[in-house]
Amino acid sequence: MPDFSPILTIAARDAREALRDRFLLIATLALAAAAITSLATGSLALHTDVATYMAAKDTLIALGKSASAIASPEFWPLKLLRGTVEQLEIMGAVIALVAGYRAAVSERGRQTLALILTRPLRRWQVLAAKLLGGFFLAATAAGAVTIAAAILLELTSGVGLMLSDLGRLTVGWAAAVLYLSGIYTVGFALSLWLRSASAGLVYAFALWMLMVLVAPQIGDTMDPDNQVAGGVFAALSVPKAEQDRIKAGFATYETIRNDIEISSPTKHFERFTFAVLGIKDTYTGKPLGPILTEKSGDALFLILFAFGLGAIVLLVPINPDRLTKEN
Amino acid sequence: MTFAISTQGLARRYGDAMALYPLTLEIEEGEVFGFLGHNGAGKTTTIRMLTTLLAPSAGTARVAGHDLATDPMAVRASIGYLPENVRLYDNFTTVENLLFFARLSRLNAPEAAVDKALTFLKIEDLANRRVGTFSKGMRQRVGLAQAILHRPKVLFLDEPTSGLDPMGVRMLRDIIGDLNAAGMTIFMNTHLLSEVAKSCSSIGVLSHGRLVFHDSMEAVTARYGDESSLEELYMSVAPDEAAA
Repeated sequence: MPDFSPILTIAARDAREALRDRFLLIATLALAAAAITSLATGSLALHTDVATYMAAKDTLIALGKSASAIASPEFWPLKLLRGTVEQLEIMGAVIALVAGYRAAVSERGRQTLALILTRPLRRWQVLAAKLLGGFFLAATAAGAVTIAAAILLELTSGVGLMLSDLGRLTVGWAAAVLYLSGIYTVGFALSLWLRSASAGLVYAFALWMLMVLVAPQIGDTMDPDNQVAGGVFAALSVPKAEQDRIKAGFATYETIRNDIEISSPTKHFERFTFAVLGIKDTYTGKPLGPILTEKSGDALFLILFAFGLGAIVLLVPINPDRLTKEN
Repeated sequence: MTFAISTQGLARRYGDAMALYPLTLEIEEGEVFGFLGHNGAGKTTTIRMLTTLLAPSAGTARVAGHDLATDPMAVRASIGYLPENVRLYDNFTTVENLLFFARLSRLNAPEAAVDKALTFLKIEDLANRRVGTFSKGMRQRVGLAQAILHRPKVLFLDEPTSGLDPMGVRMLRDIIGDLNAAGMTIFMNTHLLSEVAKSCSSIGVLSHGRLVFHDSMEAVTARYGDESSLEELYMSVAPDEAAA
């Protein structure tokens, strides 16, 4: 049975240090502010729609008419989380990357790693502790953003969150934790493995650009249906059968486009959360169970991304001599 | 005779460069061993191998009776280590830093061990201050506290007086004496001959990765006269460094 006590000791210390880290604190607050700002504007607009509907309903009732004379609209407050998810995708990823870099660099060169590695514990326990610290950090930051968003929606949208909404938020939070933990691991691993930690950060940022910005953007740009607002087929009123016939002629192109898109963990995170939270129209109002079944591929990718990278970090031997030398 | 440290042909190579030629050395329990040598002589490489941070390219070694290669965990449980220029965790107080290392050392009562170390090193007044605000001397004492928390059998000090003012050097010398009196074997890398003369019971001189001298201070004094002639000894065994 592996001994987890040193892992928890180091992870707890890392988490405490991260909470005292001004850069991480300010960056996380900035992320929360950006997410909340985008949410607040949408939430206020929804609140106005709800108020308009309620006023119309009251007027009908005051006139002695039935409220059923106007169709009851359906309000989906979680749809307003699009901006929040996008902030987590891009800004959250940067914070996770830098946190991973700092977790490695904070020990390198200042001799604390030498002090840890000369204690009676195994190398893999040190690495596992560092990864666990990142996992806690991702869970805390994503949790803070999710809770703030839920409270804001409840208070300002005029539509109360239901139990099922809270369940969806929890699933979305779990996906965010996996996504951010994976990115943290990339920053940590590269800063640990490369000869210079700063070179590791540069490589990590290059990877971030590919994963978070370039691959999803190429996928979007290559999508012909994204070239015209509302979709090119809809704009040209192309019938469904004709759409399918045209698409069949571009099957290889579509495969390449899709492959580029799904090479990015960001895209899997986006597809999964957009579906779970009902942000994408196709999934709005659908029950959670079938959505989870349909999106299990994206969920699996995120799990493999986080835990697979973690396993690689544990398996790759570290060089204590190099890592404990002064910079 | 029981040896706290014994090496047989312990060597380390970096690519084509030999950092430490096969080193055979025996240090008895209860000694304060001063390891002298110029910068780049191989002192830190030796300490890094003996503390399990660096794998030897050849040879074997035992520390506190445990084999480095086959039982590194037991070696780690028996040693304390103070690297040169240790900085610790700046955002943490002295007690927080020490508790962290005490827990990693699997102590049953980490709080008591921390209190004991603070009292021993007379740094109770630093207990709740953040390490980031400390002078070099204060950091060195906190660093030493983390190294002795678990009462190791062998204590490795890498240039412990580096950057300290004369008061700090004297205080550290007294602490080393007290630790040794409590039964700890001390292996100290240094390039300060005066410190070796005042603190050590035996010395070794390393030059370009080779051990060129090893004997007790008693023998050195008998052979070269009083302790102040240590410089003459160093010049005679490592003349090129002395000239440089």
